[in-house]
Amino acid sequence: VSPVTGEPSDPDTRLELDQFVASTSRPVRRAQLGGWAQAGLWALRVAAVVLGAMVIYTFVYQLGH
Amino acid sequence: MSRDGQSEAVALPRTPLTHEDLDRAQDRLRVYNARRRGRRWYLVWLLIGPGILAMLGENDGPSMISYTATGATYGLGTFLPFTLLTFAMAAVCQEMCMRVGAVTHRGYGKLVIERFGRLWGWFAAGDLILTNLVTLVAEFVAIRVGLRYFHIGAFASAALGVLLVAATMSGGRYWRWERAVLALAAFNGLFLIAALLTHPSAGAVGHALVTASPFPSGSLRTLLLLIASTIGATVTPWMIFFQQSASADKGLTPADLRHGRIDTIAGAVIAALFGIGAMVAGAALVHHGGGGLNGLSGLGFPGALRGVAGDAAGTLFALGLIEAGAVAVLTISASTGYAVSECLGAPHSMNDTVRGAAVFYGANLLAALLAAAVILIPGAPLLSISLNANVLATVLLPVSLVFLLLLANDRELMGRWANGPRLNVLTIAIVGFVSLSGAAYAVVSFLQVIHVL
Repeated sequence: VSPVTGEPSDPDTRLELDQFVASTSRPVRRAQLGGWAQAGLWALRVAAVVLGAMVIYTFVYQLGH
Repeated sequence: MSRDGQSEAVALPRTPLTHEDLDRAQDRLRVYNARRRGRRWYLVWLLIGPGILAMLGENDGPSMISYTATGATYGLGTFLPFTLLTFAMAAVCQEMCMRVGAVTHRGYGKLVIERFGRLWGWFAAGDLILTNLVTLVAEFVAIRVGLRYFHIGAFASAALGVLLVAATMSGGRYWRWERAVLALAAFNGLFLIAALLTHPSAGAVGHALVTASPFPSGSLRTLLLLIASTIGATVTPWMIFFQQSASADKGLTPADLRHGRIDTIAGAVIAALFGIGAMVAGAALVHHGGGGLNGLSGLGFPGALRGVAGDAAGTLFALGLIEAGAVAVLTISASTGYAVSECLGAPHSMNDTVRGAAVFYGANLLAALLAAAVILIPGAPLLSISLNANVLATVLLPVSLVFLLLLANDRELMGRWANGPRLNVLTIAIVGFVSLSGAAYAVVSFLQVIHVL
């Protein structure tokens, strides 16, 4: 166990046990998002797409003029 | 993996070590020995890297051109302290990236996919790939402008950038790559020297920093463009991907968080100093047609600086642009490689061999090749590409920041290293400010273009 953090570590490699490729290759558990959180993320996503499209349209328009 | 479930981690069966594990173990052994022997400064040297690289990587071609354009348009005033504010915002966001990477040992794209699902992961990667490709074009533009000052053509600029990416990737070691790019990034300081050669008034700089005045005037769209562009010059989606993935790749652990913070804050301070250097150098042009300069169509800013402050200032500025573009080509193409391979579930470490992490290295090189091809197009609107690359990054940034905030607050992943309430309030304020700034430019400029405003 690491004396600094209390995390389990391998004495030979000094890598934390969850730092090995074998460990990081295993996916973490999926988070459960509530309805409001999902709606908020979708709203943010839609806003980013719309605003991004506006910036690109303006840029392309300015190229032609 | 669970930070709250240590017994689960202890019970892991020993599996064969990979090339990546062995390389990382070498680096960790040096950190362990430095810590055990109390070699404080050597420990700092070993653990710095991702933070400084992210910050100086973001002092890239379009950012330095954006700072210079702002200085040339408005002189020294509100934008000087505003730039400091944006670097403070960047430090807050990048500290979270470093912490999440060090605690979970996973990159941003990989964590978003695993924790929130493939759809959100690919959205994030899509944003990143789009902004990275546009930004990479702007990096090659910066290299081209810098080299053009020395009468070297566009093809050499494209070849130089691509060769740099290929050369630095060939080592098969994160440590070597990081040190090579850090050495190159040190030359970002040329902007500061160029600024000093313009003999700026210390009183004017101090007055602008303290009073945030004079306030900018003129076209609303130009003002909003430069605000959004200045934010996008400091905090961007690629930095989030890069610093989290690089912190994990470097092998940082929770024991290294203090040094990770030193690395991030030092990076922010150094980058702010050099960024302000570019703005001060630009301000020397304010009474010499600065606002109307098309900095990239000809010799641009370096040539204009030579006319105002002498050959040395122009030469250093041109060399600075080459460095800024080159470092960012390396870091941004690396962040593209991390994002693509993390989302595809492919190996993604610089400690892996080219054959072992073919997708990672392939995406890294392909991004650079695509961007290099664009600057060979004659008559491309280079200044406009540079500024709009930053604006696009600002508009797409809030989504990346919200997911970063969710990850940094995830107690199942982060355990006792999760965000505290004060940091959350600060980060939410940053997300709001960035969102408003990006949206204001996008909406106002769009309405003007379609003749509603």
